[in-house]
Amino acid sequence: MKRYRQHSIEFGNLSDVPFWKTAGPIDLVYISYGLLVVLLVFVSYVLGMTGFLPFDPQEINLELLMAPPNTEGHLLGTDFMGRDILARLIIGIQAYFLPGLLAIALALALGTCFGVLAGYWGGGLDTASTYVSNLLNSFPRLVLILLMVAAFKPDIYLVMTVVGITNAPTVASLIKSKIQFLKQKNFIEAATALGLKNAVIIIKHILWHNCRSVLIIQATLGMAEVILIETSLSYLGFGVQEPTPSWGNMVQSGANYFMQGKFWPSTAPAMAILLTIMGFHLLGDSLNNILERKRDQ
Amino acid sequence: MKLASIKPITVLISRELAIAALLLLGISFLVFMVLFLSPGDPFSSLLKDQTASSAIGTAARSEIGGPAPWYYQYLAWLGNIMRGNFGTSIRTGLPVLREVIRTGINTLYLTLGSLLITLLIAVPIAVFSARRGFTATNWVLTMFTYVVSALPVFWLGYIVIYISMHRFGLFPLAFGSGAQTWSWVYFMLPVFVLGLSNGTMSEVVRHLREELSRVFSEEYICTARAKGASIWKHSFKEGFLIPITEIVATKIPFILGGAVVVEQVFNWPGMGRMAWQAAQDRDFPLILGITLMAALFVRLGSLIERAVHIIVNPRFAKE
Amino acid sequence: MIGVPVLKIENLRTYFYSSSKQAFSRAVDGVNLALEKGETLGIVGESGSGKSVTALSVMGLVTAEPGVITGNIGLKTDGVQKNLLQDIEDYVKITNENGRTVEVSKDNPGWQRHIDRVLRGVRGKEISMIFQNPKLSMNPFSSVGKQIKEAIMLNTSINNAQEARERTLYWLEQVKIDSPRLRYDNNPYGLSGGMCQRAMIAMALSSEPSVLIADEPTTGLDATIQSKIVSLLEELKSSVGVTTLLISHDIDVIKTLSDRVSVMYGGRVLESGPSKEILSAAHNDKHPYTAALLASIPTARQIKAKSYLQAIKGDVLDTINLPSGCLFYARCHQVTEQIKMQCKHQEPELREISSNHNVRCWRFFNA
Repeated sequence: MKRYRQHSIEFGNLSDVPFWKTAGPIDLVYISYGLLVVLLVFVSYVLGMTGFLPFDPQEINLELLMAPPNTEGHLLGTDFMGRDILARLIIGIQAYFLPGLLAIALALALGTCFGVLAGYWGGGLDTASTYVSNLLNSFPRLVLILLMVAAFKPDIYLVMTVVGITNAPTVASLIKSKIQFLKQKNFIEAATALGLKNAVIIIKHILWHNCRSVLIIQATLGMAEVILIETSLSYLGFGVQEPTPSWGNMVQSGANYFMQGKFWPSTAPAMAILLTIMGFHLLGDSLNNILERKRDQ
Repeated sequence: MKLASIKPITVLISRELAIAALLLLGISFLVFMVLFLSPGDPFSSLLKDQTASSAIGTAARSEIGGPAPWYYQYLAWLGNIMRGNFGTSIRTGLPVLREVIRTGINTLYLTLGSLLITLLIAVPIAVFSARRGFTATNWVLTMFTYVVSALPVFWLGYIVIYISMHRFGLFPLAFGSGAQTWSWVYFMLPVFVLGLSNGTMSEVVRHLREELSRVFSEEYICTARAKGASIWKHSFKEGFLIPITEIVATKIPFILGGAVVVEQVFNWPGMGRMAWQAAQDRDFPLILGITLMAALFVRLGSLIERAVHIIVNPRFAKE
Repeated sequence: MIGVPVLKIENLRTYFYSSSKQAFSRAVDGVNLALEKGETLGIVGESGSGKSVTALSVMGLVTAEPGVITGNIGLKTDGVQKNLLQDIEDYVKITNENGRTVEVSKDNPGWQRHIDRVLRGVRGKEISMIFQNPKLSMNPFSSVGKQIKEAIMLNTSINNAQEARERTLYWLEQVKIDSPRLRYDNNPYGLSGGMCQRAMIAMALSSEPSVLIADEPTTGLDATIQSKIVSLLEELKSSVGVTTLLISHDIDVIKTLSDRVSVMYGGRVLESGPSKEILSAAHNDKHPYTAALLASIPTARQIKAKSYLQAIKGDVLDTINLPSGCLFYARCHQVTEQIKMQCKHQEPELREISSNHNVRCWRFFNA
């Protein structure tokens, strides 16, 4: 996940002026593109679940192997077993959907806990959580996943648990610096002086009012990372296994035919990956620009 | 160096070294626990192999009469690692340490080379957009970094191989074999591919641009301009040196991860490819050694970053 | 006081865009100033009156924010004679109608680089500058001595490192930094604010400039340090005698150091003339704004009498939506029924009321 420098943000930033009125037009374009991607992901998931697809993604058609795009109703062509690529693309999103949500939920939950512990109470807890963050950041994620795969078994949920846990430090450090910033402004002291309980301060005033945009942004960027990791793993043969389609293993299996000049079986999923990851990145970065940075007029 | 500032810098750097050592200890423990908890108890078999000649392991084993408790195993294993004994690979029977170092050097070439490529592309873009603000050229360049960061790296690898085969008649060769005239081009391809699409480009540009434009608007840069001095010279430490080491240090794990894939695509005999092989074979001693070595790379990177920070930033050194 | 001005600012306009580029704020709007050799010209005004922007415009340092600049800034020294805004019309054009700006009709962002080119060899060499906030204005990553040495080597004929070092030590001594040899290696964070400002002054003077611009040299310092810096500047004025453009909101500083003074408000000069005349409470013929500024300074008599300070009523002018008449009309005490309509609807010219004393007010030349 991305790291951002802590930008100053005032409490008054949750004013009545909606963010799209103060944002630059280019950021709005990026955000609408990102939201479109999110929407498409959801729609594809629903389509896949309800089976409302142009073709059966598993139906093997030996008469139409490697058909180029737009033949006999196959909009994106067929793959080496004559299966419809579009249908497989749509159903391929299922490989990311639930595991990805798990990874994100884990990263946000763990990160928030550690961040609050380190930022709100500080001291030894802060030192300890810094140590754990550094520890987790020491491993190249893919190498750690390979280790887990070797030790246990190639399972997407296991992999996503690892991704979730290793992403937690980034979230934690963002939450921590946010809380430290609030502390600097004597905001927390004031709340305590008003007689608010710690739980109320943390959940309502810190997390809900001041950290929710951080969490949304990190969730967005986390999804991009999930897709990237699954793609790499599928390429290495430890991801989602054939015949279940995922964008990663579709690129991988199609890539063998790339050398013969048949580009579409790998290009279609590669483009899907590219556009989706870009959408999530642009969404996250633009939201960060708008929500996390107070522009002084 | 002034006499007054030497002491705190050495103190701070040795403190960083101590932290790094502590982290490496934690890393070894974490890795140990992963394997210890895995089904089939691969660890005791690994230890048996590893400590055949070691008195500790056998003594512990015979005393208890069963598999030794975890801390015995951990300490025995750690002791071996300290002495440079990482065991032998299950598949090839070769000593792990030597194998890891041999392939690690290849990976180091790949990652450092690709890092150079990333920076060669990212730094000019960042400088350009920090100086010129938002323009059309700038937008195109920024979009380019987003696109390459989102491309699946192996797909780009395939395209590059395809082009080099069909357009230039270059064929993937076994690494280092044959002194073909163009073999160095083939050597450059993986470096180039990893440098372009290790997934960090957009972030490197973003970080550098933000830091640079922040530094450019600092008051001391205004002073430098007012006295006719070069703003590049004055912004170098805060605007280039610190952010670049910072971002490189945080991105080393990502680049190493990307190396696993790129080595696979290009048949590069590096650590990542070996890790893939080891994971395939469940070759525990080997994957363990690789994980530890990779973590060592990462820690080394951030150690350098901390050192640069301390040496460059006098305020930091004073604290 | 007759002679060719060293620095002559004519009709300088510096506008900043609002973030949406829909409106612009007129930070400096048609300022004319002339700085003669050896004199110190003070510019005084509230914050937001455009005095700092005037200084930055002369140095070509307003590039940090999106904006435009037009006018003429003539520099005539022993070595150099040029218009610091030469050919700016190729990049920026502002359309005027009855002295009021209608629109920015041309805005080519290349003007900033153009000015950088024009000012090469002028910045530092001919004009050098002292900034406010000395601690932030010195490079925190380099030692004070090195920074001064750099200025010397860039801007004077000295290009031998050893000689430059000696020269640096000389200037550090001139600005009364004790044990300059020790301070030479200190980084700015190791010095106090006052010490830093002395080093800044040393750096500005060490280039041996023809014109020194001091932008709020005492702001951000403790009161005791302020008075020390003022007396240092006073001493340097007599010993070094550099032509100075002094900008401050502190009337006492201006009174002590400057020979002539210009009072700025809303990006315009409202009054200019000898500082003794303008800034003395006894002298009656002055712009209502200047009078109000002077009345807002506590005097010993007022403090004894425990009378309240007089703040100027109203807020600083909104430079985006300028009023059509006199800029100070909304806050003016001295509007009489007789000239009220004139004040409200027509802006007065800057006209001479006594020798070298110009005022922009209808009170003095009621037509």
